[in-house]
Amino acid sequence: MTMIDEVVLRRAIVDAADGFKVSRDAREQILNAAKEDEPEARASRGPTFLRPQGRSRTMLVAAALLLVVGAISWPLLRGEGSNAPTALASRTVHGNGGVTFGPSTAGEKVVQGNLGSPVATGTAYQSRVTITGTSAVATKVGTSPKIESTGNVDLRIGKGQVEVAFAKLTRMASGDRGFVVSSQERVGTNSAGKFSYGIMVLEVPQRSFDTLVTQVQHAGHATSVATSSADVTSQYVDLRARISAAEASRAQYLTIMSKARSIGDILAVQSQLNNLQSQIEQFQGQLNVLNNATTYGTLTVSLTEAGQQPNAVTSRSGFAKAWHDAVRGFVAGFEWVVRLAGPALFALIALSVAFVIVRYARRTIRRRRI
Amino acid sequence: MDELETWLTESYDQSVRTAYLILGNRLDAEDAVQEAFLRAWRFRDSLARETSIKPWLYRVVVNTCNSKLRQEIPHRDRRGSDDALANVSSIDNLSQRVEQSYDMLSALKDLPLALRVVVVLRYYADLSEREIAIAIGRQPGTVKSRLNEARKRLATHPALGAVPQEQPPTGEEATS
Repeated sequence: MTMIDEVVLRRAIVDAADGFKVSRDAREQILNAAKEDEPEARASRGPTFLRPQGRSRTMLVAAALLLVVGAISWPLLRGEGSNAPTALASRTVHGNGGVTFGPSTAGEKVVQGNLGSPVATGTAYQSRVTITGTSAVATKVGTSPKIESTGNVDLRIGKGQVEVAFAKLTRMASGDRGFVVSSQERVGTNSAGKFSYGIMVLEVPQRSFDTLVTQVQHAGHATSVATSSADVTSQYVDLRARISAAEASRAQYLTIMSKARSIGDILAVQSQLNNLQSQIEQFQGQLNVLNNATTYGTLTVSLTEAGQQPNAVTSRSGFAKAWHDAVRGFVAGFEWVVRLAGPALFALIALSVAFVIVRYARRTIRRRRI
Repeated sequence: MDELETWLTESYDQSVRTAYLILGNRLDAEDAVQEAFLRAWRFRDSLARETSIKPWLYRVVVNTCNSKLRQEIPHRDRRGSDDALANVSSIDNLSQRVEQSYDMLSALKDLPLALRVVVVLRYYADLSEREIAIAIGRQPGTVKSRLNEARKRLATHPALGAVPQEQPPTGEEATS
Protein backbone atom coordinates (compact mmCIF):
# COMPACT_ATOMS: atom_id res chain seq x y z
CA MET A 1 0.00 0.00 0.00
CA THR A 2 1.30 3.49 -0.82
CA MET A 3 2.31 5.94 1.85
CA ILE A 4 2.63 9.66 1.69
CA ASP A 5 6.13 10.88 0.94
CA GLU A 6 7.93 11.84 4.12
CA VAL A 7 9.64 14.93 2.70
CA VAL A 8 6.41 16.29 1.33
CA LEU A 9 4.60 15.48 4.53
CA ARG A 10 7.21 17.20 6.64
CA ARG A 11 7.24 20.30 4.47
CA ALA A 12 3.46 20.56 4.43
CA ILE A 13 3.20 20.15 8.16
CA VAL A 14 5.94 22.69 8.83
CA ASP A 15 4.25 25.13 6.49
CA ALA A 16 0.93 24.58 8.21
CA ALA A 17 2.43 24.99 11.68
CA ASP A 18 4.57 28.02 10.89
CA GLY A 19 1.69 29.86 9.37
CA PHE A 20 1.25 32.19 12.35
CA LYS A 21 3.35 34.20 14.72
CA VAL A 22 3.58 33.02 18.30
CA SER A 23 2.76 35.68 20.86
CA ARG A 24 5.69 36.72 23.08
CA ASP A 25 3.41 37.89 25.89
CA ALA A 26 2.39 34.33 26.66
CA ARG A 27 5.91 33.49 27.86
CA GLU A 28 5.83 36.34 30.36
CA GLN A 29 2.44 35.19 31.56
CA ILE A 30 3.78 31.69 32.14
CA LEU A 31 6.79 32.99 34.05
CA ASN A 32 4.60 35.19 36.25
CA ALA A 33 2.15 32.39 36.88
CA ALA A 34 5.02 30.06 37.78
CA LYS A 35 6.41 32.63 40.24
CA GLU A 36 3.03 32.98 41.94
CA ASP A 37 2.61 29.24 42.02
CA GLU A 38 6.11 28.53 43.34
CA PRO A 39 5.72 28.85 47.16
CA GLU A 40 2.45 26.91 47.20
CA ALA A 41 3.74 24.13 45.00
CA ARG A 42 6.94 23.81 47.00
CA ALA A 43 5.06 23.70 50.28
CA SER A 44 2.71 21.00 49.02
CA ARG A 45 5.65 18.74 48.30
CA GLY A 46 7.30 17.18 51.30
CA PRO A 47 11.02 17.11 51.95
CA THR A 48 12.95 15.56 49.10
CA PHE A 49 14.38 12.76 51.23
CA LEU A 50 10.86 11.56 51.99
CA ARG A 51 9.97 11.18 48.33
CA PRO A 52 11.73 8.21 46.85
CA GLN A 53 12.36 8.54 43.13
CA GLY A 54 12.55 6.16 40.21
CA ARG A 55 14.06 2.82 41.04
CA SER A 56 13.93 3.39 44.81
CA ARG A 57 10.20 3.94 44.58
CA THR A 58 9.74 0.82 42.46
CA MET A 59 11.75 -1.19 44.98
CA LEU A 60 9.70 0.25 47.80
CA VAL A 61 6.43 -0.66 46.07
CA ALA A 62 7.74 -4.15 45.26
CA ALA A 63 8.82 -4.68 48.88
CA ALA A 64 5.43 -3.54 50.12
CA LEU A 65 3.71 -5.90 47.69
CA LEU A 66 5.87 -8.81 48.77
CA LEU A 67 5.08 -8.01 52.38
CA VAL A 68 1.34 -7.97 51.69
CA VAL A 69 1.39 -11.19 49.68
CA GLY A 70 3.60 -12.84 52.28
CA ALA A 71 1.26 -11.78 55.05
CA ILE A 72 -1.66 -13.27 53.13
CA SER A 73 0.10 -16.48 52.13
CA TRP A 74 1.86 -17.24 55.41
CA PRO A 75 -1.25 -18.21 57.39
CA LEU A 76 -2.37 -20.39 54.48
CA LEU A 77 0.97 -22.16 54.30
CA ARG A 78 1.11 -22.38 58.05
CA GLY A 79 -2.42 -23.76 58.12
CA GLU A 80 -1.27 -26.53 55.80
CA GLY A 81 1.52 -27.42 58.18
CA SER A 82 -0.53 -27.30 61.33
CA ASN A 83 -2.94 -29.87 59.94
CA ALA A 84 -0.24 -32.48 59.77
CA PRO A 85 -0.28 -33.54 63.43
CA THR A 86 -4.07 -33.83 63.37
CA ALA A 87 -3.95 -36.09 60.35
CA LEU A 88 -1.23 -38.10 61.99
CA ALA A 89 -3.10 -38.52 65.23
CA SER A 90 -6.30 -39.61 63.55
CA ARG A 91 -4.73 -42.25 61.34
CA THR A 92 -5.74 -45.83 62.01
CA VAL A 93 -3.73 -48.87 61.16
CA HIS A 94 -4.65 -52.34 60.09
CA GLY A 95 -2.43 -55.19 59.05
CA ASN A 96 1.27 -55.65 59.39
CA GLY A 97 2.31 -52.17 60.26
CA GLY A 98 3.80 -51.48 56.87
CA VAL A 99 2.25 -48.06 56.79
CA THR A 100 4.42 -45.04 56.27
CA PHE A 101 3.82 -41.93 58.26
CA GLY A 102 4.67 -38.31 57.69
CA PRO A 103 7.24 -36.61 59.84
CA SER A 104 6.22 -36.27 63.43
CA THR A 105 6.16 -32.89 65.05
CA ALA A 106 8.27 -31.91 68.02
CA GLY A 107 7.12 -33.40 71.28
CA GLU A 108 5.52 -36.40 69.61
CA LYS A 109 6.88 -39.87 69.64
CA VAL A 110 5.86 -42.52 67.19
CA VAL A 111 6.28 -46.13 68.18
CA GLN A 112 5.66 -48.69 65.51
CA GLY A 113 6.32 -52.38 65.48
CA ASN A 114 5.05 -55.93 65.42
CA LEU A 115 3.59 -57.36 68.55
CA GLY A 116 3.49 -61.04 69.23
CA SER A 117 3.56 -63.77 66.67
CA PRO A 118 1.43 -64.36 63.60
CA VAL A 119 -2.08 -65.47 64.41
CA ALA A 120 -3.54 -68.84 63.55
CA THR A 121 -4.26 -68.00 59.92
CA GLY A 122 -0.68 -66.94 59.41
CA THR A 123 -1.68 -64.02 57.23
CA ALA A 124 -2.13 -61.19 59.65
CA TYR A 125 0.12 -59.62 62.22
CA GLN A 126 -0.66 -57.50 65.14
CA SER A 127 0.48 -53.97 64.93
CA ARG A 128 0.38 -51.08 67.24
CA VAL A 129 0.78 -47.39 66.80
CA THR A 130 0.86 -45.18 69.80
CA ILE A 131 1.18 -41.47 69.58
CA THR A 132 2.00 -39.72 72.75
CA GLY A 133 3.22 -36.24 73.47
CA THR A 134 3.96 -33.73 76.16
CA SER A 135 1.72 -30.77 75.98
CA ALA A 136 3.72 -27.54 75.80
CA VAL A 137 0.49 -25.60 76.30
CA ALA A 138 -0.27 -27.49 79.48
CA THR A 139 3.19 -26.78 80.80
CA LYS A 140 2.86 -23.07 80.07
CA VAL A 141 -0.54 -22.54 81.63
CA GLY A 142 -0.07 -24.93 84.52
CA THR A 143 -2.95 -27.18 83.53
CA SER A 144 -2.66 -30.94 83.52
CA PRO A 145 -2.43 -32.27 79.96
CA LYS A 146 -5.76 -33.12 78.39
CA ILE A 147 -5.32 -36.20 76.24
CA GLU A 148 -8.05 -37.79 74.19
CA SER A 149 -7.34 -41.48 73.66
CA THR A 150 -9.08 -43.79 71.25
CA GLY A 151 -8.28 -47.26 70.02
CA ASN A 152 -9.40 -50.18 67.88
CA VAL A 153 -8.68 -53.81 68.52
CA ASP A 154 -9.60 -56.63 66.15
CA LEU A 155 -9.93 -59.92 67.92
CA ARG A 156 -10.16 -63.41 66.49
CA ILE A 157 -12.06 -65.70 68.84
CA GLY A 158 -13.18 -69.30 68.81
CA LYS A 159 -16.35 -70.52 67.15
CA GLY A 160 -19.49 -69.54 69.13
CA GLN A 161 -17.45 -67.53 71.60
CA VAL A 162 -18.83 -64.04 70.82
CA GLU A 163 -21.12 -63.87 73.84
CA VAL A 164 -18.44 -65.21 76.13
CA ALA A 165 -16.02 -62.60 74.80
CA PHE A 166 -18.62 -59.87 75.32
CA ALA A 167 -18.97 -60.90 78.96
CA LYS A 168 -15.21 -60.90 79.43
CA LEU A 169 -14.84 -57.45 77.85
CA THR A 170 -17.66 -56.06 79.99
CA ARG A 171 -15.93 -57.31 83.14
CA MET A 172 -12.63 -55.79 82.05
CA ALA A 173 -14.22 -52.41 81.36
CA SER A 174 -16.18 -52.23 84.57
CA GLY A 175 -13.15 -53.27 86.61
CA ASP A 176 -11.94 -49.68 87.01
CA ARG A 177 -15.09 -47.57 86.77
CA GLY A 178 -15.38 -48.11 83.06
CA PHE A 179 -18.50 -49.05 81.12
CA VAL A 180 -19.82 -50.46 77.89
CA VAL A 181 -21.05 -47.73 75.55
CA SER A 182 -22.55 -50.10 73.00
CA SER A 183 -22.36 -53.67 71.83
CA GLN A 184 -23.60 -55.35 68.68
CA GLU A 185 -23.69 -59.01 67.83
CA ARG A 186 -24.66 -60.21 64.39
CA VAL A 187 -25.09 -63.62 62.86
CA GLY A 188 -24.22 -64.29 59.23
CA THR A 189 -23.95 -67.25 56.91
CA ASN A 190 -21.36 -68.28 54.40
CA SER A 191 -20.22 -71.47 52.66
CA ALA A 192 -18.91 -72.82 55.95
CA GLY A 193 -22.22 -72.29 57.70
CA LYS A 194 -23.36 -69.80 60.34
CA PHE A 195 -20.96 -67.42 62.01
CA SER A 196 -21.18 -64.59 64.51
CA TYR A 197 -19.34 -61.33 64.74
CA GLY A 198 -19.67 -58.38 67.06
CA ILE A 199 -18.52 -54.89 67.88
CA MET A 200 -18.23 -53.51 71.38
CA VAL A 201 -17.37 -49.95 72.37
CA LEU A 202 -15.83 -49.54 75.81
CA GLU A 203 -14.98 -46.45 77.80
CA VAL A 204 -12.56 -46.48 80.70
CA PRO A 205 -10.81 -43.76 82.67
CA GLN A 206 -7.71 -42.45 80.90
CA ARG A 207 -5.36 -43.96 83.50
CA SER A 208 -6.76 -47.45 82.79
CA PHE A 209 -6.84 -47.16 79.01
CA ASP A 210 -3.49 -48.79 78.32
CA THR A 211 -4.22 -51.58 80.82
CA LEU A 212 -7.54 -52.25 79.12
CA VAL A 213 -5.92 -52.41 75.68
CA THR A 214 -3.45 -54.98 76.99
CA GLN A 215 -6.16 -57.03 78.68
CA VAL A 216 -8.40 -57.00 75.63
CA GLN A 217 -5.63 -58.42 73.47
CA HIS A 218 -5.55 -61.45 75.74
CA ALA A 219 -9.27 -62.08 75.33
CA GLY A 220 -8.55 -63.68 71.96
CA HIS A 221 -6.06 -63.48 69.11
CA ALA A 222 -5.48 -59.82 68.41
CA THR A 223 -5.05 -59.32 64.67
CA SER A 224 -4.86 -55.55 64.77
CA VAL A 225 -4.33 -53.03 67.52
CA ALA A 226 -4.39 -49.33 66.91
CA THR A 227 -4.43 -46.63 69.51
CA SER A 228 -4.12 -42.94 69.07
CA SER A 229 -3.91 -39.97 71.35
CA ALA A 230 -4.68 -36.34 70.65
CA ASP A 231 -3.60 -33.50 72.84
CA VAL A 232 -6.55 -31.13 73.25
CA THR A 233 -5.07 -29.07 76.07
CA SER A 234 -4.95 -25.93 73.96
CA GLN A 235 -8.66 -26.21 73.12
CA TYR A 236 -9.40 -26.83 76.76
CA VAL A 237 -7.41 -23.81 77.91
CA ASP A 238 -8.95 -21.66 75.21
CA LEU A 239 -12.48 -22.61 76.25
CA ARG A 240 -11.74 -21.92 79.88
CA ALA A 241 -10.33 -18.52 79.02
CA ARG A 242 -13.39 -17.68 76.98
CA ILE A 243 -15.66 -18.70 79.81
CA SER A 244 -13.66 -16.59 82.29
CA ALA A 245 -13.80 -13.57 80.02
CA ALA A 246 -17.53 -13.96 79.46
CA GLU A 247 -18.13 -14.35 83.18
CA ALA A 248 -16.13 -11.21 83.90
CA SER A 249 -18.21 -9.30 81.35
CA ARG A 250 -21.37 -10.67 82.89
CA ALA A 251 -20.27 -9.44 86.33
CA GLN A 252 -19.66 -5.97 84.90
CA TYR A 253 -23.06 -5.90 83.23
CA LEU A 254 -24.67 -6.96 86.48
CA THR A 255 -23.00 -4.01 88.21
CA ILE A 256 -24.26 -1.71 85.48
CA MET A 257 -27.71 -3.25 85.80
CA SER A 258 -27.81 -2.44 89.51
CA LYS A 259 -27.19 1.23 88.69
CA ALA A 260 -29.57 1.48 85.74
CA ARG A 261 -32.46 3.88 86.32
CA SER A 262 -34.46 3.90 83.11
CA ILE A 263 -36.36 1.02 81.56
CA GLY A 264 -34.47 1.47 78.30
CA ASP A 265 -31.12 1.04 80.05
CA ILE A 266 -32.32 -2.02 81.91
CA LEU A 267 -33.59 -3.64 78.72
CA ALA A 268 -30.36 -2.91 76.89
CA VAL A 269 -28.24 -4.39 79.68
CA GLN A 270 -30.58 -7.34 79.98
CA SER A 271 -30.17 -8.09 76.31
CA GLN A 272 -26.38 -8.12 76.67
CA LEU A 273 -26.64 -10.32 79.74
CA ASN A 274 -28.79 -12.81 77.85
CA ASN A 275 -26.25 -12.99 75.05
CA LEU A 276 -23.41 -13.50 77.48
CA GLN A 277 -25.28 -16.18 79.36
CA SER A 278 -25.96 -18.00 76.13
CA GLN A 279 -22.28 -17.83 75.18
CA ILE A 280 -21.18 -19.08 78.59
CA GLU A 281 -23.53 -22.05 78.38
CA GLN A 282 -22.32 -22.85 74.89
CA PHE A 283 -18.68 -22.77 75.97
CA GLN A 284 -19.49 -24.76 79.06
CA GLY A 285 -21.16 -27.43 76.93
CA GLN A 286 -18.09 -27.71 74.72
CA LEU A 287 -15.90 -27.88 77.80
CA ASN A 288 -18.02 -30.68 79.22
CA VAL A 289 -17.70 -32.66 75.99
CA LEU A 290 -13.96 -32.15 76.04
CA ASN A 291 -13.78 -33.10 79.68
CA ASN A 292 -15.69 -36.28 79.03
CA ALA A 293 -13.51 -37.17 76.08
CA THR A 294 -10.34 -36.64 78.05
CA THR A 295 -11.59 -38.29 81.20
CA TYR A 296 -12.41 -41.53 79.44
CA GLY A 297 -10.59 -43.36 76.71
CA THR A 298 -12.69 -45.08 74.04
CA LEU A 299 -11.80 -48.52 72.76
CA THR A 300 -13.67 -50.23 69.94
CA VAL A 301 -13.29 -53.98 69.87
CA SER A 302 -14.24 -55.98 66.77
CA LEU A 303 -14.81 -59.67 67.30
CA THR A 304 -14.58 -62.21 64.51
CA GLU A 305 -14.91 -65.94 64.80
CA ALA A 306 -11.99 -68.03 63.67
CA GLY A 307 -12.26 -69.15 60.05
CA GLN A 308 -13.85 -65.93 58.84
CA GLN A 309 -12.06 -63.57 56.51
CA PRO A 310 -9.69 -61.53 58.61
CA ASN A 311 -9.89 -57.76 58.44
CA ALA A 312 -6.20 -57.34 58.16
CA VAL A 313 -4.53 -57.02 54.84
CA THR A 314 -2.28 -59.78 53.66
CA SER A 315 1.39 -59.51 54.13
CA ARG A 316 3.36 -58.47 51.08
CA SER A 317 6.60 -59.82 49.78
CA GLY A 318 9.66 -57.60 49.60
CA PHE A 319 9.14 -56.49 45.99
CA ALA A 320 5.38 -56.01 46.40
CA LYS A 321 5.97 -54.02 49.54
CA ALA A 322 8.56 -51.87 47.81
CA TRP A 323 6.19 -51.27 44.89
CA HIS A 324 3.36 -50.47 47.30
CA ASP A 325 5.58 -48.05 49.21
CA ALA A 326 6.69 -46.43 45.98
CA VAL A 327 3.11 -45.85 44.86
CA ARG A 328 2.16 -44.47 48.24
CA GLY A 329 5.20 -42.23 48.22
CA PHE A 330 4.34 -40.95 44.76
CA VAL A 331 0.75 -40.23 45.76
CA ALA A 332 1.89 -38.55 48.96
CA GLY A 333 4.32 -36.37 46.99
CA PHE A 334 1.64 -35.47 44.48
CA GLU A 335 -0.77 -34.61 47.28
CA TRP A 336 1.86 -32.37 48.78
CA VAL A 337 2.38 -30.56 45.49
CA VAL A 338 -1.38 -30.09 45.02
CA ARG A 339 -1.73 -28.81 48.58
CA LEU A 340 1.08 -26.34 48.04
CA ALA A 341 -0.22 -25.28 44.63
CA GLY A 342 -3.27 -23.58 46.17
CA PRO A 343 -1.46 -20.97 48.25
CA ALA A 344 1.25 -20.59 45.61
CA LEU A 345 -1.31 -19.95 42.90
CA PHE A 346 -3.13 -17.52 45.12
CA ALA A 347 0.09 -15.66 45.84
CA LEU A 348 0.91 -15.56 42.14
CA ILE A 349 -2.50 -14.23 41.19
CA ALA A 350 -2.44 -11.66 43.98
CA LEU A 351 1.01 -10.54 42.91
CA SER A 352 -0.01 -10.28 39.27
CA VAL A 353 -3.15 -8.31 40.05
CA ALA A 354 -1.25 -6.00 42.37
CA PHE A 355 1.43 -5.52 39.73
CA VAL A 356 -1.12 -4.62 37.06
CA ILE A 357 -2.97 -2.25 39.39
CA VAL A 358 0.21 -0.52 40.52
CA ARG A 359 1.47 -0.21 36.97
CA TYR A 360 -1.84 1.18 35.75
CA ALA A 361 -2.13 3.51 38.73
CA ARG A 362 1.41 4.79 38.29
CA ARG A 363 0.82 5.44 34.64
CA THR A 364 -2.49 7.20 35.30
CA ILE A 365 -1.08 9.27 38.14
CA ARG A 366 1.93 10.28 36.11
CA ARG A 367 -0.26 11.30 33.20
CA ARG A 368 -2.60 13.27 35.40
CA ARG A 369 0.20 14.96 37.28
CA ILE A 370 2.00 15.84 34.12
CA MET B 1 13.05 30.06 37.45
CA ASP B 2 16.00 30.30 35.08
CA GLU B 3 15.33 26.74 34.10
CA LEU B 4 11.77 27.61 33.13
CA GLU B 5 13.03 30.52 31.07
CA THR B 6 15.36 28.16 29.28
CA TRP B 7 12.49 25.78 28.58
CA LEU B 8 10.40 28.61 27.24
CA THR B 9 13.18 29.94 25.05
CA GLU B 10 14.01 26.55 23.62
CA SER B 11 10.61 24.95 23.30
CA TYR B 12 7.71 27.35 23.68
CA ASP B 13 7.23 28.33 20.04
CA GLN B 14 7.55 24.82 18.76
CA SER B 15 5.24 23.55 21.48
CA VAL B 16 2.53 26.05 20.54
CA ARG B 17 2.76 25.09 16.91
CA THR B 18 2.71 21.39 17.80
CA ALA B 19 -0.37 21.92 19.92
CA TYR B 20 -1.89 23.90 17.09
CA LEU B 21 -1.43 20.98 14.73
CA ILE B 22 -3.03 18.65 17.24
CA LEU B 23 -5.89 20.89 18.28
CA GLY B 24 -6.42 22.76 15.04
CA ASN B 25 -6.88 26.11 16.76
CA ARG B 26 -4.32 28.69 17.80
CA LEU B 27 -6.05 29.96 20.93
CA ASP B 28 -6.63 26.46 22.20
CA ALA B 29 -3.00 25.67 21.43
CA GLU B 30 -1.72 28.64 23.42
CA ASP B 31 -3.97 27.78 26.35
CA ALA B 32 -2.84 24.18 26.29
CA VAL B 33 0.85 25.00 26.13
CA GLN B 34 0.60 27.56 28.91
CA GLU B 35 -1.10 25.00 31.10
CA ALA B 36 1.39 22.34 30.08
CA PHE B 37 4.44 24.41 30.94
CA LEU B 38 3.03 25.34 34.30
CA ARG B 39 2.25 21.71 35.04
CA ALA B 40 5.68 20.59 33.93
CA TRP B 41 7.28 23.26 36.09
CA ARG B 42 5.18 22.36 39.10
CA PHE B 43 6.09 18.70 38.84
CA ARG B 44 9.58 19.12 37.46
CA ASP B 45 11.03 16.92 40.20
CA SER B 46 9.19 13.91 38.82
CA LEU B 47 10.57 14.40 35.31
CA ALA B 48 13.38 12.04 34.44
CA ARG B 49 16.70 13.79 34.74
CA GLU B 50 18.81 11.26 32.99
CA THR B 51 17.29 11.84 29.57
CA SER B 52 16.59 14.90 27.50
CA ILE B 53 13.83 17.10 28.83
CA LYS B 54 12.40 17.59 25.36
CA PRO B 55 10.31 14.42 25.04
CA TRP B 56 9.00 14.91 28.56
CA LEU B 57 7.91 18.42 27.79
CA TYR B 58 6.17 17.15 24.71
CA ARG B 59 4.54 14.49 26.78
CA VAL B 60 3.08 17.18 29.01
CA VAL B 61 1.95 19.16 26.00
CA VAL B 62 0.37 16.14 24.33
CA ASN B 63 -1.39 15.12 27.52
CA THR B 64 -2.74 18.60 28.00
CA CYS B 65 -3.97 18.62 24.41
CA ASN B 66 -5.60 15.24 24.94
CA SER B 67 -7.21 16.53 28.07
CA LYS B 68 -8.53 19.59 26.27
CA LEU B 69 -9.92 17.50 23.43
CA ARG B 70 -11.62 15.16 25.87
CA GLN B 71 -12.95 17.55 28.45
CA GLU B 72 -13.20 21.14 27.29
CA ILE B 73 -13.49 21.43 23.57
CA PRO B 74 -16.40 19.00 23.06
CA HIS B 75 -18.47 20.95 25.60
CA ARG B 76 -18.37 24.31 23.93
CA ASP B 77 -18.90 25.68 20.48
CA ARG B 78 -16.02 24.50 18.48
CA ARG B 79 -13.70 27.28 17.55
CA GLY B 80 -13.41 27.20 13.84
CA SER B 81 -10.10 26.92 12.10
CA ASP B 82 -8.49 30.27 12.43
CA ASP B 83 -6.86 32.12 9.65
CA ALA B 84 -3.34 31.40 10.73
CA LEU B 85 -2.34 30.30 7.31
CA ALA B 86 -3.14 33.69 5.92
CA ASN B 87 0.24 34.73 7.24
CA VAL B 88 2.17 32.03 5.46
CA SER B 89 5.08 33.59 3.82
CA SER B 90 4.41 34.31 0.22
CA ILE B 91 7.87 35.64 -0.57
CA ASP B 92 8.37 32.74 -2.92
CA ASN B 93 4.81 33.04 -4.09
CA LEU B 94 4.25 29.42 -3.23
CA SER B 95 0.52 29.43 -3.49
CA GLN B 96 0.64 25.74 -4.06
CA ARG B 97 2.36 25.23 -0.73
CA VAL B 98 -0.25 27.32 1.04
CA GLU B 99 -2.97 25.27 -0.50
CA GLN B 100 -1.15 22.11 0.44
CA SER B 101 -0.83 23.30 4.03
CA TYR B 102 -4.57 23.91 4.22
CA ASP B 103 -5.15 20.45 2.87
CA MET B 104 -2.66 19.03 5.34
CA LEU B 105 -4.42 20.67 8.27
CA SER B 106 -7.70 19.28 7.03
CA ALA B 107 -6.23 15.81 6.61
CA LEU B 108 -4.62 15.96 10.06
CA LYS B 109 -7.95 16.83 11.62
CA ASP B 110 -9.47 13.75 10.06
CA LEU B 111 -6.81 11.49 11.51
CA PRO B 112 -7.59 9.79 14.83
CA LEU B 113 -5.95 11.65 17.69
CA ALA B 114 -3.44 8.89 18.43
CA LEU B 115 -2.18 8.94 14.85
CA ARG B 116 -2.28 12.73 14.60
CA VAL B 117 -0.08 13.12 17.64
CA VAL B 118 2.69 10.82 16.39
CA VAL B 119 2.68 12.44 12.95
CA VAL B 120 3.00 15.92 14.43
CA LEU B 121 5.71 14.92 16.88
CA ARG B 122 7.65 13.11 14.19
CA TYR B 123 7.36 15.47 11.24
CA TYR B 124 7.00 18.79 12.98
CA ALA B 125 8.62 18.50 16.40
CA ASP B 126 11.25 16.25 14.80
CA LEU B 127 11.33 13.79 17.67
CA SER B 128 12.80 10.36 17.10
CA GLU B 129 10.55 7.31 17.44
CA ARG B 130 12.10 6.61 20.81
CA GLU B 131 11.44 10.15 22.01
CA ILE B 132 7.88 9.96 20.74
CA ALA B 133 7.48 6.73 22.64
CA ILE B 134 8.49 8.56 25.82
CA ALA B 135 6.25 11.48 24.96
CA ILE B 136 3.12 9.36 24.51
CA GLY B 137 4.00 6.67 27.02
CA ARG B 138 3.99 3.79 24.54
CA GLN B 139 6.53 1.38 23.09
CA PRO B 140 8.70 2.47 20.12
CA GLY B 141 7.15 -0.35 18.09
CA THR B 142 3.72 1.17 18.65
CA VAL B 143 5.00 4.54 17.47
CA LYS B 144 6.43 3.01 14.30
CA SER B 145 3.20 1.19 13.60
CA ARG B 146 1.12 4.33 14.18
CA LEU B 147 3.37 6.38 11.93
CA ASN B 148 3.00 3.86 9.12
CA GLU B 149 -0.74 3.73 9.57
CA ALA B 150 -0.96 7.53 9.60
CA ARG B 151 1.07 7.84 6.42
CA LYS B 152 -1.13 5.28 4.71
CA ARG B 153 -4.26 7.13 5.73
CA LEU B 154 -2.86 10.47 4.66
CA ALA B 155 -1.90 8.99 1.30
CA THR B 156 -5.51 8.04 0.67
CA HIS B 157 -7.04 11.22 2.08
CA PRO B 158 -9.05 13.06 -0.61
CA ALA B 159 -7.57 16.44 0.33
CA LEU B 160 -4.04 15.19 -0.29
CA GLY B 161 -4.74 13.48 -3.58
CA ALA B 162 -2.22 15.65 -5.43
CA VAL B 163 0.57 15.16 -2.94
CA PRO B 164 3.37 12.86 -4.14
CA GLN B 165 3.16 9.34 -2.76
CA GLU B 166 5.97 7.03 -1.83
CA GLN B 167 5.78 3.67 -3.59
CA PRO B 168 6.67 0.53 -1.66
CA PRO B 169 10.10 -0.81 -2.67
CA THR B 170 10.09 -3.60 -5.24
CA GLY B 171 11.86 -6.88 -4.59
CA GLU B 172 14.80 -5.94 -6.78
CA GLU B 173 15.28 -2.62 -5.00
CA ALA B 174 15.08 -4.26 -1.66
CA THR B 175 17.78 -6.75 -2.49
CA SER B 176 20.09 -4.29 -4.23
